[in-house]
Parts: sequence; structure tokens; C-alpha cells
Amino acid sequence: MIERFGLHESTFDPLWYTHWALAATLVLPILAGLLGARCAPRRLFPVALACLPILLAGALLVFDYQQAGLLRWQWQVAGVEISLRFNGLSGLMLMITQWVGAAAALYTPGHLRITHPGKRARWLWPLMGVLISSLSLIWLAADLLTLYAALELMGLAAVGMLLLSGKPAALKAGIRYLLLALVGSLAYLLGVALLLGYWGALGLQALAEVVEPGPVTWVAAALIGAGLALKAALFPLHGWLTPVHENAWTPVSALHAALVIKASLFILLMLWSILLPGTLLAPRFVAWLGMLAIVWGGLIAWRADSLKTLVASSTVGQLGYLMVAFPLLLGPSITPLAEALAWEGFWLHLMGHSLAKAAMFMAAGNLIIATGESSLRGLSGTSRRLPLSLLIFGIAAVTLMGLPPSAGFTAKWLLLQALVISQQWVAVAALLAGTLLTAAYVFRVFRYSFDETAPRHQYQPLAPGMDIIALCLALAAFALGLLAHLPLALIQGGGV
Amino acid sequence: MIASFDVIQSGLALGLVVVAFACLFDRHLLRASALFVLFALLMSVSWWYLSAPWLALTELVLGMVLTGGSFFYALRAFPSAAMAAPHVDGSQHVLSHRLTRGLLALAWCAMIGVAIHYVMPEMAYSFAGHPLILASIVIAATAMGAFALHRHLLRRLLAFNILGSGVFILLAGMAGTVSGAQALISVGLTIAWLGTLLGVMLIRHLVILEGVSALEDENDAAGQAQ
Repeated sequence: MIERFGLHESTFDPLWYTHWALAATLVLPILAGLLGARCAPRRLFPVALACLPILLAGALLVFDYQQAGLLRWQWQVAGVEISLRFNGLSGLMLMITQWVGAAAALYTPGHLRITHPGKRARWLWPLMGVLISSLSLIWLAADLLTLYAALELMGLAAVGMLLLSGKPAALKAGIRYLLLALVGSLAYLLGVALLLGYWGALGLQALAEVVEPGPVTWVAAALIGAGLALKAALFPLHGWLTPVHENAWTPVSALHAALVIKASLFILLMLWSILLPGTLLAPRFVAWLGMLAIVWGGLIAWRADSLKTLVASSTVGQLGYLMVAFPLLLGPSITPLAEALAWEGFWLHLMGHSLAKAAMFMAAGNLIIATGESSLRGLSGTSRRLPLSLLIFGIAAVTLMGLPPSAGFTAKWLLLQALVISQQWVAVAALLAGTLLTAAYVFRVFRYSFDETAPRHQYQPLAPGMDIIALCLALAAFALGLLAHLPLALIQGGGV
Repeated sequence: MIASFDVIQSGLALGLVVVAFACLFDRHLLRASALFVLFALLMSVSWWYLSAPWLALTELVLGMVLTGGSFFYALRAFPSAAMAAPHVDGSQHVLSHRLTRGLLALAWCAMIGVAIHYVMPEMAYSFAGHPLILASIVIAATAMGAFALHRHLLRRLLAFNILGSGVFILLAGMAGTVSGAQALISVGLTIAWLGTLLGVMLIRHLVILEGVSALEDENDAAGQAQ
């Protein structure tokens, strides 16, 4: 399990240009963000130009990994060892982060041109840059200190972005999110303190070698788990998620739902696989919560009145699928086949959900901007006037529902297979029920949008590219199901 | 161990606990902010005493000057009518709300106590030998309870900062002031300051938009039930 996160010695040292690619991956997003604050781009072209070197640097790192295997870096700064590693999983997460980030950045100029948000919009660019940089650092970090710093930086940037819309409701939701995220990070820090005090190691690899099950490890794992679950909006700690998305700008919502909450989940799985390998109770508890989350998130989304609430609540349910896989990844006496299937299904579902949820938020944002209404009832008549936005919403929903041949289907198929092999029938039932519930709330949107009896109202024309970018994301999520072997080949090798 | 009863350390610990309690439960916001600055000063002295001079300096700059200053910056946005009648959080809590929060703090205390018992087994024989750790457990538990109890956003922000300080001393007490622990605490202090600054700017914005009453976040319980 630990090898799969790339926590072992590497065979080759990184090449000279790999160092530059690493520096570019971590620093360029911030620089591009600062440049964006200075120039406030109003067209797609300069944004695309700024994204290009970042995407190239990420691709170069993945290429190097395929050539040389696991890449490792270590520095001593003031007596503290900072270590990074780049394995197939980091590469996969980095690519998803960079491409979804680029899509959100490309979407932004059009969104800002139509909504006229005023001077505050300048701040969006540097915050977005910091967010992408700190996310990239999270996928690469191999010690608890770097993880903590990157996690907090990401959290603060995310809060800042969510607040930019400036409405009182957004501010209230935002400050609650800020306070909860900060307290969650203190729980994480206390867990780290216990680990450092008892085992005396901050590096993940060193920790994995010395750590043994015992009360200290359990309390630390519980503290870290609680803090990260709060940040990842895992059921039942998801209360802050919906109000925050309700008032945020579209590209911000897309980035947040696609990437930010996934980072906490990634850290949670990585640390628990170090601290609690082969334990029964904690992963089983998470899985039960996950089953509840699938049903509860689906029901809330089904009863939602506003489009953004629907999309945000569906995130709670979709995270439930990932939680259900926890006992298969961490539990004792799991057959290697089931574990491998669950491992692939977990990451494929995470990636598919990132792409599809970003596309869905953008499509929902387009519909809300065009109709000027945020409720589901306001959608009536859109099937005639905004067919493309609805189509994008539909393609993204296909992935969320898990219909073939989307990424959602392949991922759920892998997870179901693993669950059937390990005979967890309740989880199988929850997965199937979740699919039905997803279909129920998605078709509710379409029922309203195909209503032709509603009075006509003015439609705001969308900026060029807003629909195309969302369509590309939705199609990427769709195609990921057909081409699943490409990303999965990166994480299968275990980084050896 | 009992012989190593340390007057200065015990005095510091007692001072920290008293000032933290006063800061957490003072309804007068200006006075509570001033008490926070005093608390940060005591924290800085504690770091000095634990032979971590750089941490003391960081605490002085980040904790006392910048974070403490942020609170006064927030209070300046309050309208002059509220200035005349000093900024007081007047919200009342029902008994069950207080009781559950008190139990939460106790449970928290017990969990940390169990963990400490294993990390530092010698502490079970001499509670008085580690007054700062004892103080930090009390401070962290009380601040956790206060954070869950209060509805006023500024007081919750204060409670978060004190909770953070409690966690930092606990960290230093368990891991010693090795460079790794110092780096963690420095990052934590920076994050706490940035978070406080963000929260303070939000509070100012809310006060300007909706008045002081918006800060008593009443819909919190309703929001969590969603």
C-alpha cells in the first residue's frame, strides 16, 4: 500500500531538466496569477498563453517518470528535512489539477466580462495561482510539514476565492467555512504533534518504517482523520459545503468541487494507509458513513430547489462512493485482486468526478447566467433556447450516474467488482441505490427544462468559449471511461 | 520529578490559563482583544523560557503584533453608536447548548489526556512536573468549548487563536523544541495570522454591509442541520 504512494527509494536521480520542470510546476502558477492581477485579461488568448508552459512542465514531469521511475527530491532547510516525490499517482493528480485549473482559468474571462463583478475580480487570478501551486505541492509532498503548509495555503486561497462574490450570504457562509477549516487544520496539527512526539519522525517514509499500532497511533489517526474529513466535506461534516457553493462564482465552484476537497481526501487515504494498515474498525466506520452519504446526498439533491444546491449536494453523495472503498484499500484480509480493483476504481472515480463536476458547475453557471434565475423552476423553456448548455449538463450527468461508457461507469464497475469479490453486499446495494438517486435528481432538472408552457423571458447571451470549455471537460470525463487504461497504467506499476 | 517543581514555569502556566479564560469569556470585545495581546506576550515569554528564542520572536511579531492588531482593526469598523456603548456580545445561550458544549470540552480533554499518557508516561507520576503541558490541555479544551459555544464571529475567531496557541504548546511539550517542531509551529502561526486577517476583513465587510447584528451568527445551527 505504501509503495503505491511512492514512499520508497528511487532508482535514478532526477535529470537536470526535471528540476526545472518541478520548479515551473510549483512556481509558474503563482507568477501567472500575479501577472493576471496586473493585467486583468479580458480575452481567452493571453490566459491560454499563460497556461501553456505550466501544462508543458507537468507533462514533462510525467514523461520523466515514465522514463526513470520514481523521482525524489530532498532538501535541508534550517535543520528541517523537506522531501518531495513524484510517482504515477502524483503525476495523474497533477495532470487533472493542471487541466481542470486551465479550463477554469480559460472560462474566467468570459464569465467576468458578462457578470461585471467590479474591482474585486483582480484578486481571483493570484488566488487561483496559489491554489494550483499548493495543490501541486500536496500531490508531491512526502513529509508532514510540507503537507501541512500546502494544505493550509490551499485552504486559505480557496476561502478567499469563495468570498469574492461579496454578497452577505456568501460572506457568512465563507466565514463559517474559514473557521471550520482552521479548526480542522488544528486537529490535523495535533495529530502530527502526537506522531512527532512519540515516533520522532516527520517524513512519511521514515514514519512508515517506525510506526506501530497502539493508542497513540489511533488517537493521532482519529485527530488527523477528523480534521481532514471536515475539510473534505465527508458526510456528516458536509454542512458548510452547500451554502458556500450557493453564492460563489462559477469557475471558483468548479475548482473547489473538482480539486480542493479531493486534496484532503488524498492526504487522508495516504496517512491512514501509513498509520492504520490492516485495521478493521476505522475504515469500516468510514464506509458506513459513505453509504449513508450516498443516500443522504442523493436525497438532498433530489429535493433541492436551486440548481447550484443540487450540484453541490451531489458532491456529498459522490464522495460517498470513494468512502465506501476505504475498507478495501486499508482493511485486513482483502484479496490482492479486490484491493487492486478498488485502488483503480477509487482514483478513476475521483478523476472522473473532478472532470464531470467541473463541467456540471460550468454548465449550471451558464444556465443561471443566461436565464438570470438560480431556481430549478427558472429553467423552464431552456431546452429550446440553450440546448448546448443542457447537453453539457447531460453529458456530465452521464458520468455522475455511471452510465456506460463514461469514467463513472468504469470506476463504479471496478468498485462493484471489488465489493462483490469481498462480499460486501450492503455496499453493493448502496452503490446501486446511489445510481438510481442520481438519475432521479438529474432527470428532475430535465423535467423543468423541457417545460414549454413557461412565459418567455430575456436570455443573456454567453461569451464565446464558455460553453465550449465546459463541453471539453464533460467530454473528457466521458472519454476517460473508454481510455481508462492510459491513466491506470500510470498507477498500476506502484512506482517501481 | 516532584523535586523539579519549577516556580517560573508554573507561574507562566497559571498566567496563561487565567488570561486565556478571561479572554475567552469576556463579553466586552475590546477588552477581550487586549487580553489576547497579553496572552500572546505570555506565549512569547514561554517560548523564550523553553529556549526557543526564534519562536519567541515569531510569536511576538506574528501572534502579538499582527494577529492582535487584526482584532483591533476589526473593531474599528464597528459603527460609532456601538462605540459609545462598548462592543459587547449580548447573545444568550440556552442551558442545553451550554451543557453539550461543556461535555464536548470534557471529552476532548479526556482524549488528549489518554494520548499524552502514552506519549509521556512519566507525566502520570508528576502532574506538577509539566505545568505548561497541563495548562495547554486546559487551554485547548476550554477554547474548543468556547469555539463551539459562542455565536459572535469575532469571539469565535479569538477562540480559534487561543485553541491554536494551546495546540502549539502541546506540540512543543510532546516533541520538544526540535527544529521540526519549531518549523511546524512557525507555519502554524503564519497560517493563524493569515486566517485571522481573512476573517477580520470578512467581519469588517459584514459590519459595513449589514451592521453589527450580522455577526451573531444565529443561523449556524440551522445551517449545520442541512
